[in-house]
Amino acid sequence: MTRVLVIDDEAPIRLLCRVNLEAEHMEVLEAPDGPSGLELARTASPDVVLLDVMMPGLDGWRVAEELLEDPDTAGIPVVFLTARADLRDRARGMDLGGLDYITKPFNPVELASLVRSVVDAVKRGERDQLRTEKIAQLRELFESA
Amino acid sequence: MDDTLQAILPDAVPLLVIAGLYALVSLALAVPLARERGSSWLGVGIWLLFTLVAALAAVLGVLRLEEKEVLGDVDSWIVFAVAAAAAVPALIVLARRRERGLLVTAGRRVLEAEELASERGREADAISRLSGALSHAVTGTEAAARLFDELESVLGVETFMLAVVDEEARTARGFAARGVDESWWEGVVLDLDDDIGAIVTVARERTPYAIYDVTTAPNVNRKLADTVGAKSAAFVPLVSEGRVVGVVVSVTRDDHRLFSASELELVQGLANEAALALGRTRSDEALRVALDRERLVAAIGRKVRSELDLDAVLTVAVEETAGAIGVSRCFIRLGEPGEPMPIRAEWDAPGIDPVGAAAERLPASNLAARRRVTVAVGDIEKAPELDDPTLGGLATLRELGTRAVLATPIVVFDRTIGVFGVHRSDATRWTAGEIALAEAVAREVGLAIHTARLLGENERRLRQQETLLNAAQVLTSDLRFESVIRRLVEEVVALTRADAVDCWIFEPDRKLLRCRAVYGLPEWNVGRQIPPEGTIGKAVATGRTVLTHEFAATEQPPPSPPYAVFNDVMSAPITWLGEARGVLGVCAREANRFDEADVEMLGAFARFASLALHNAESFEERERQAQVQRGFYRVAEVLGSPLSLAETFDALAQAACEALGGTSALVLEPRAGDELVLAGSFELPEPVRTRLADGLPESLCPFGTAGGSERIISSSSLADDDRFDESVRKLFGDSGYGSLLCAPVAGTRGQTNAVVVLFAGERTFTDDDLALTRHLSGAARGALERSELFEAERRARTFSQRLARVGALLATNLDPGVVLNEVAREAPALLDADAAAIRLLERDELVVRTADGPGTADLVGARSSSSAGISGVVAQSPSPLAVSDARDQPRLTRGDGLLEGGMAACVAVPMSAHGGGLYGVLAVYSREPRGWRDDEVQSLVALAGTASASVANAELYQRVAEEKERNEAILANIADGIVAVDRDDRIVLWNATAEQITGVPASEALGRRIAEVLQRELTRDPAQPPNEPVRMRRGNRDVWLSVTEAVMLDPARAVAGRIFAFRDVSSEHVVEQMKSDFVSTVSHELRTPLTSIYGFAGTLLRGDVEFSESERETFLGYIASESERLIRIVDDLLNIARIDAKKIEVTLERTDLGEVAHETVAQVADHVDGGHTFAVEVEPGSLWVRADREKLSRILHNLVDNAAKFSPAGSKITVSAQRRSDTAEVSVKDEGMGIPHSEWERIFAKFYRTEHVAQSGVEGTGLGLFLARGLLAAMGGRIWVDSREGHGANFTFELPLARADGADVPEMEAAGTP
Repeated sequence: MTRVLVIDDEAPIRLLCRVNLEAEHMEVLEAPDGPSGLELARTASPDVVLLDVMMPGLDGWRVAEELLEDPDTAGIPVVFLTARADLRDRARGMDLGGLDYITKPFNPVELASLVRSVVDAVKRGERDQLRTEKIAQLRELFESA
Repeated sequence: MDDTLQAILPDAVPLLVIAGLYALVSLALAVPLARERGSSWLGVGIWLLFTLVAALAAVLGVLRLEEKEVLGDVDSWIVFAVAAAAAVPALIVLARRRERGLLVTAGRRVLEAEELASERGREADAISRLSGALSHAVTGTEAAARLFDELESVLGVETFMLAVVDEEARTARGFAARGVDESWWEGVVLDLDDDIGAIVTVARERTPYAIYDVTTAPNVNRKLADTVGAKSAAFVPLVSEGRVVGVVVSVTRDDHRLFSASELELVQGLANEAALALGRTRSDEALRVALDRERLVAAIGRKVRSELDLDAVLTVAVEETAGAIGVSRCFIRLGEPGEPMPIRAEWDAPGIDPVGAAAERLPASNLAARRRVTVAVGDIEKAPELDDPTLGGLATLRELGTRAVLATPIVVFDRTIGVFGVHRSDATRWTAGEIALAEAVAREVGLAIHTARLLGENERRLRQQETLLNAAQVLTSDLRFESVIRRLVEEVVALTRADAVDCWIFEPDRKLLRCRAVYGLPEWNVGRQIPPEGTIGKAVATGRTVLTHEFAATEQPPPSPPYAVFNDVMSAPITWLGEARGVLGVCAREANRFDEADVEMLGAFARFASLALHNAESFEERERQAQVQRGFYRVAEVLGSPLSLAETFDALAQAACEALGGTSALVLEPRAGDELVLAGSFELPEPVRTRLADGLPESLCPFGTAGGSERIISSSSLADDDRFDESVRKLFGDSGYGSLLCAPVAGTRGQTNAVVVLFAGERTFTDDDLALTRHLSGAARGALERSELFEAERRARTFSQRLARVGALLATNLDPGVVLNEVAREAPALLDADAAAIRLLERDELVVRTADGPGTADLVGARSSSSAGISGVVAQSPSPLAVSDARDQPRLTRGDGLLEGGMAACVAVPMSAHGGGLYGVLAVYSREPRGWRDDEVQSLVALAGTASASVANAELYQRVAEEKERNEAILANIADGIVAVDRDDRIVLWNATAEQITGVPASEALGRRIAEVLQRELTRDPAQPPNEPVRMRRGNRDVWLSVTEAVMLDPARAVAGRIFAFRDVSSEHVVEQMKSDFVSTVSHELRTPLTSIYGFAGTLLRGDVEFSESERETFLGYIASESERLIRIVDDLLNIARIDAKKIEVTLERTDLGEVAHETVAQVADHVDGGHTFAVEVEPGSLWVRADREKLSRILHNLVDNAAKFSPAGSKITVSAQRRSDTAEVSVKDEGMGIPHSEWERIFAKFYRTEHVAQSGVEGTGLGLFLARGLLAAMGGRIWVDSREGHGANFTFELPLARADGADVPEMEAAGTP
């Protein structure tokens, strides 16, 4: 069963994720802030992390950095789930090592399939490939902007 | 046998036995008695006793046997007993004296063997003793004494003699003796070849020899035997290593004595021992003797060598040798074989005649010299080889009383140079040592002679060389031919001690010799010429020095009278390169005065002389050439250097004087009136100078003619030269001048000058002198022309230097007034004039701006018409004008203060203005009338030009300086930062605003690069958008600059620098940043609730999942609350827009503050999950304010929400209210991070979020407080904050109290209205 860690300071968002992911038979772990998210990521070995950016205290950028710096958690794919829709923020997320970038608001029904595709790609060892693809899409967006 | 016989036998037998015993004893005793003659009587008696007893016993025994009753009836046993007893003495004797016993027949051989063994033992003992004793003997005498001791002990004799035999076994010589006169014995010498006697025999035959009766024996040296008085003698040779080294003689003088063979054998053994010792001691002695001899030779050698004088050497040698070997005469003859060999040194014993002139007839030394061997003759009478007439025969030796001669040749380097000889009056045998000594001395003497000769030769050569060198030095120290020749003859006289010396040199045609110098001969010989004949001719022809003896008598052709007195004459050719140049003659009155050494020396000297003469000739030739050359050079040098005209004349005089070797020189210049005036001189005495300075009429001297005809005038004897007036002759004569040379020199002004060189004394002038004079004439002309050019050039240079100096001065001066003053000061100096004035054109007037010189004190400011006076004329033309004398030209003096004031000459030049028009006039004045050379006028024009340019520059500079100041003032006060860099990017301008903006003072920035000052460039990054602000650090914060850049180009279109203008747009940038942040924050604020609403709605719509009722409620609840949140945000945004547009509308009504506070806090507490404690310290209904309820709620919500967001979880948030006079004060207090005082005001600005807040990650739009303040303002209230950092914040706002009457009529008011 795919284990998803949701780090978001907004309780409704966490609930939203949980409900929709559990509906797709995924296990959902929640963290209301950066530090507890990092702790859970280290202890519970999630398959994927859904990470909000704008959080009090430790923001999502820093959490992503720390996750990727820690050898124990560096393998966990990070998907940003944020209201920052600016292209530059997306680029920043990808630059930091994120595998995907979901802007709020999002369609909750599609969340699980998105998470699954990421997890599957990582499992297939296509993590870098996936990232390259996403970055290429982002570049296209940039160029068209 | 019968019974009787048997009865008597016992008697007869013992008797017969006794008889036999005693007979035996008797016999035994008889042998030694017979052998030892002279035995004692006792021995004979005993022998007789034994013999009688034997006879008696024998008779008795026989009788008994014959039955004759001699014993009667004596019992046989008694007879036996008596007989036995009688046997005892015989047995005892036999026992003691075995030799005497003849008991058995074999006993004798036994006894003999024993005796022999005993003798050998004694012999061995004796030898051993002697050997021991001899080992301590050091000398032969001691060894002999030990031998004698031993012989005495074994032989019992007391007289001994020992003779030693020499190595060649030719002689035996008495060596040591005992019992006879030793000195006599030691003088005894026996010739082993010739003498007779036992000693000689033994020495030759090497066998011992004994003589029983010496007196009668034939083989005896009777003389010796008689002297010793010998009766018997034993002669034993001392044999060592097979050679007889001596003979020892043992002698009895009282009785005859037979020396037995065994004794001789023993003595031989002892003698051999002694021979060894003697050999050893003799070896030692021989060594000692050899050493002594060597020492002697060394001593003689030392003495000989210590003498440098040959005679002293020889004397030492003969005396020392004679003393050393004891001879009657010792001498040294010296000479080559075949030539006379006279005695050079001789020593004679007292009473011995010297050899003297008889030396040549000494045969032994003659033989030694001839054969080159040592001749040693012990007795001349036995030396037939000397009796040779060719050697001189023996007669002389006999006359000299000489019997023994020893002569050894003195040989040096295989050449016999003499003989060393010694004589003895008696015949003698020369020992090897003596011969060796003589030979050694001869060697030493030879070496000494050789050394002495070498030294002598060396010394002679040294002396000769020294003499020659001295002479050569003397000769070569002088380089003048005549002096050299004179010194030459003097030196030859000193060198040869001659009576007369002459020197002849070939005439150029080489046919005749001319006498050039004499010594000891009449002076008139000098100059005489003779053909090379006779001795001189021979010397010239052979090229060698010729010595003629008996000159006066034999010389052909006969010598002239002065030479007829000389007997010895030497002539040495003086040759050079194989060719005879002359002859050196040396004469002596004394016959045979000169020898080969003199010839050699004169030859050597002549070679020196030829060298010296050649040198002298060369030197004189070179000297002459050099003088001419020097003259040319001097003329060229002196006249070649550019000089003024006056200096050139002096130099000309000097050059002429030095070139021609004159005493003084002068240059005369023709002047009107047919006079010659002194133009230059060198070393000219004052009287002559004074006289000539006044002018010399041409008529008094031919100098003018020289000039006119351009011919050289020479006067070898001034005193007699009638071309010169008497007064002129006297003038020169009084100053010691006797001759002169005069050359014409063309002057530059068409006249012809005369150069006169004066010589002390009369002088004949050579062609060289005249050629040099002509050269001088030509060279001088060139020099004078150069001098003219030089003068002109010098003037030009002076002008240009002054101009350059003035130009430099003016160029560095930037004050136009100072420049003009400087020009006025320099101009008179430039033209060697007296004053100068500068007039500047002002409208139609010329105004004196500056003046310098006498009479210019009040001139400045004087005005004159622009057409008046000389300056006016120049101003009108405008061109330079020079006036030599303006005094009679009123047109020019009018209006000119200086000309009117007494100046006579003037030159004025125009000064141009920058645009080409007239700027003014520069005028230079001279008190005296004077001409102005063109170059002077030109230089003044140049000065005026320089002055104009400098003034223009100075004015321009002033304008530029003013401009600069103005620009600087502008830049300093401009609101933008202005920074300029040069082409090297060095900062050259940094205005005050730049200082303010960057925080860097100009003093730190100027001269450095921008990157060094600001840590970044200001040049825009082409990748950045054009208007993008540039960020830089000021202190610890960022400053944003808006930069514009201008590039300055030089005329060549190259970048000459850049100017950056920038302004601080930090605040604008911050606002921009805030806006950007606001957009993203608002986006977030809007998207977050939207996400929940959209998400939960979407979730609820999922058909694939069944949600429980509670879940659905939760989802719907979220949708509702997030929708409210969304509305609130939208409201806030709308309110902000209204506040900005000042169109906010409030509905003021009486509002219960407590109620609103409680409601609002409850709402906030609902959705804040930090576990804060909320306290509302105002009761509903307790305080009524006049406010828009909704807006009031909004304000409180914002404040409480902020308090919750910025304070730690679990902390307390208090809302309280206070009633003031007509307002209510509401406070929201938290325990959070607090707000720095500096931020208290800014936090109410739109979008503003403190840095601290921004970093905390707490979301927010930065609009809440702005909104609060805007809403409160709209409601007639106000808000402020009070906080301490880290100790929470206290936001307070006040609102008007609602009227107590309750007339709460809602009213609409626009924001901003009070």
